[in-house]
Amino acid sequence: MSRLKWQAVVAGVGGQGVLFVSRALASSVEPKAGSILISEVHGMAQRGGAVVSHLKAGPFSGPLVSFGQADLLLALDPGEAVRNLTYLAPKGHLVVNAPDLEFLSPKARKALASFGAQVLTVPATELAGRAGTPKGANVVLLGAAAAVGALPVKLKELERAICEGQPQARAQANQKLLNLGAEAAAQV
Amino acid sequence: MSSKAKVRKEILMGNQALGRGLVENGVAVMTAYPGTPSSEILPSVVHYGAEMKHPPYCEWSVNEKVAVEVALSSAYTGQRSAVAMKMVGLNVALDPVMSAAYIGVIGGMILISADDPGPHSSQTEQDSRLLAHFAKLPVFDPDSPAMARDLVGPAFALSERFQIPVMIRPTLRVCHGRQNLNLREPKELERAPVFQRDPFRWAAIPKMRLALHHALNAKLAKIQDYVSKSKSLNKWHAPLRPRAPLGILASGVSAALARDVLAELGLPVGEGKVPFLQTAAPYPLPVGPVSELIAGCRNVLVLEETEPVLELLAPRRDQLWGRASGHVPSAGELTPEVLGEVLERALGEAKLKAPRPRGKMLTVPDQPPMRRPNLCPGCSHRAVFYSLRRALPTGVYPSDIGCYTLGMNQGAVDTCHDMGAAVTFASALSRSLNQAGDETPVVATIGDSTFFHSGITGLVNAVYNGSRFVLVILDNETTSMTGMQPTPESGLTADGHPGQAVDIKKLVEGCGVRWLTELDPYQMGDLQKTLKKAWRWCKSPEGSVAVIIARHACAAQRPKDAVATPCKVEVKGQAAPVKTSFKPKDNPCADCGGCVAVCPVGALTRTGKGKIKVDGAKCTGCRLCAAVCPTGTMVLEPVGACVACGLCSTWFACPALAKDAKGYISIDRGWCVDCGLCAEVCAHGAIAPLEESK
Repeated sequence: MSRLKWQAVVAGVGGQGVLFVSRALASSVEPKAGSILISEVHGMAQRGGAVVSHLKAGPFSGPLVSFGQADLLLALDPGEAVRNLTYLAPKGHLVVNAPDLEFLSPKARKALASFGAQVLTVPATELAGRAGTPKGANVVLLGAAAAVGALPVKLKELERAICEGQPQARAQANQKLLNLGAEAAAQV
Repeated sequence: MSSKAKVRKEILMGNQALGRGLVENGVAVMTAYPGTPSSEILPSVVHYGAEMKHPPYCEWSVNEKVAVEVALSSAYTGQRSAVAMKMVGLNVALDPVMSAAYIGVIGGMILISADDPGPHSSQTEQDSRLLAHFAKLPVFDPDSPAMARDLVGPAFALSERFQIPVMIRPTLRVCHGRQNLNLREPKELERAPVFQRDPFRWAAIPKMRLALHHALNAKLAKIQDYVSKSKSLNKWHAPLRPRAPLGILASGVSAALARDVLAELGLPVGEGKVPFLQTAAPYPLPVGPVSELIAGCRNVLVLEETEPVLELLAPRRDQLWGRASGHVPSAGELTPEVLGEVLERALGEAKLKAPRPRGKMLTVPDQPPMRRPNLCPGCSHRAVFYSLRRALPTGVYPSDIGCYTLGMNQGAVDTCHDMGAAVTFASALSRSLNQAGDETPVVATIGDSTFFHSGITGLVNAVYNGSRFVLVILDNETTSMTGMQPTPESGLTADGHPGQAVDIKKLVEGCGVRWLTELDPYQMGDLQKTLKKAWRWCKSPEGSVAVIIARHACAAQRPKDAVATPCKVEVKGQAAPVKTSFKPKDNPCADCGGCVAVCPVGALTRTGKGKIKVDGAKCTGCRLCAAVCPTGTMVLEPVGACVACGLCSTWFACPALAKDAKGYISIDRGWCVDCGLCAEVCAHGAIAPLEESK
């Protein structure tokens, strides 16, 4: 059985749930990848600063993703998407919490288009806010990513990884947020 | 979680993996002082230790020196002990560490010193392995959480076999990396502690120390032989091959990342094109395999963080490519990008071609500005720093290590050096600046945990030597920056053993401080008056050090206590920018200098007695000058709307104060916690409590 080899960068700002996302991705891909490596930032960097987490699933040794190697860049903040675009692999997926690509300068939009990455914009904060849980934008974005095939696991597997062992109310809320994201992705 | 499950696979943070490793290897005593990136090690020992019949004794020590001494002397009794700290903590602990190799241990002792290449959360990029070498202690250098856990057993074994403490040096990417690993059962050693009286060893006088030094050197030679012969500590990822133009010698995270980068370049180590030796034991140097590698290759690239250790210890240095030869940068983290450049250059110079040049990547021209870390909304430190600038605007403000270093955003932190230096720097700066009779207020700020750690000695020194300055102890009753570890003031201990609270006020009184007050910094008006009063006393004939204990709950740890009476505020509209004016005609100037001192932008100059010149180009219209003017000579009526002066965003610097392109402020509800403090900041009354919240 060939093992999964997959790299992701999750970016955002302190308090948006970047670390939750990378850990959820890690536990959902673990059965397929066998080996999991994550790198996180703590301490000074978390006080309102940028937060980024690297995830390498499969036969890797080191915890950091190289520029141009991420199969997925999942950005909870558009500005942090810009800062981390350089990690994206040519055929990688960019999934970003934004209504559209207006946050990019025309030059950057052009560069992204010619790079060949697959782009998905989701107004996740707005969707999560409408559902009454504005802090759940990270889970909405995950649902959207799973639905468009930006993850090496299906929505169901992701859901299992996120909801397993959670209190029922929490699990149901997350389920709802995942579906919101999946629906939004289907409409694009 | 059942402890009966045979194999539990979990994704663990490196620090948790180290904690797990310690519990799996029968640690009986664990001490630490928190510091990024090491802080989670001790709580993990507490957590996993609960699975043991006899959980280990764990303590948050008051500082790293104390932590080392407690762990070291515990190991004298035959028990296994460990101590964890960040690398700058190792500097604090260096005194007992230096003697530790000479005198040694009976039970195994592990010293974990976590390095921070980058640096991401530290003052220096120092390499603890050099200090291990300096102190003549063997050191292990893990490349991943799994290896960190797996090295704990061998480290204890080496420590007990040679009766010497062993250092494990993880770097940030190990500490805060995560990896899935199989948990093993905790081990119960059930060793009864025994103290064998042996004053010639435990209390060795200098003459004995010489004998101990000779013995230590002999011991280190044996350890070198031991690590040299170890197959598990020295791994050939790619074996030697005849006439290899280039070999790689690596340790730590660089060894792991270099393997990934080589694979990306089309030269996976498995194909064996470039001989690759990784050692987990850089000191004493595993001279056997290292010499073999160097002898077998024309050149050897040495990859390690952050200083040359292998490179300096290895033989035939003229063949090495590393920091001395300029192949590896001498500062900064060896990220995949840096390693990519280093490897490509080395491969090129060795006339080896990388089959795949480094991949295509997206470069985006318009990068967003760097996000500066900031104090949490509702943090009482912000109120202290604002009040400091309002009350004593011409002051010099030495500060210290902790969240409150971020007071820099408010222009109220002038120095930040090492733990406790706020107090000593303030003593010295006040003496230097005020010896000519000048009146430069000097106000130091230090957090409660940092005060306990190293501030007390500076305070005793200041009292004894008659220094004159104001010390504000920012007491939020926890160690916030590193993740809310309890301080001695709480009386709570790391593993729940009975402790006793230590009263900061009594401690300060006990240091001989004669002017001391406690207050709540949320009362910013009181705080400003108190700061002025304190400084007046400092410079009075009977004055000395004045201490203000500013106590308020941490907004991150206890948000409900921090904002006990929520007050929702709103910005009352926008108005055109305004300027201040000096009108001495009806109200003559009292020449007090208050306006000149308080102006945040230096727009006011005293041009003669009772004469102030306003630089209209600089004036932002913040109205502080008019607000402090006792005679009404500086004139600017409150506008009652935001005039885009920028005072609140610079002096108060709350993340909830959002600034638009024209400089107008609005409240970002995503950040705002309704502390209501900013309403007191705006001198135009533009930020005000919402009617409905009253």
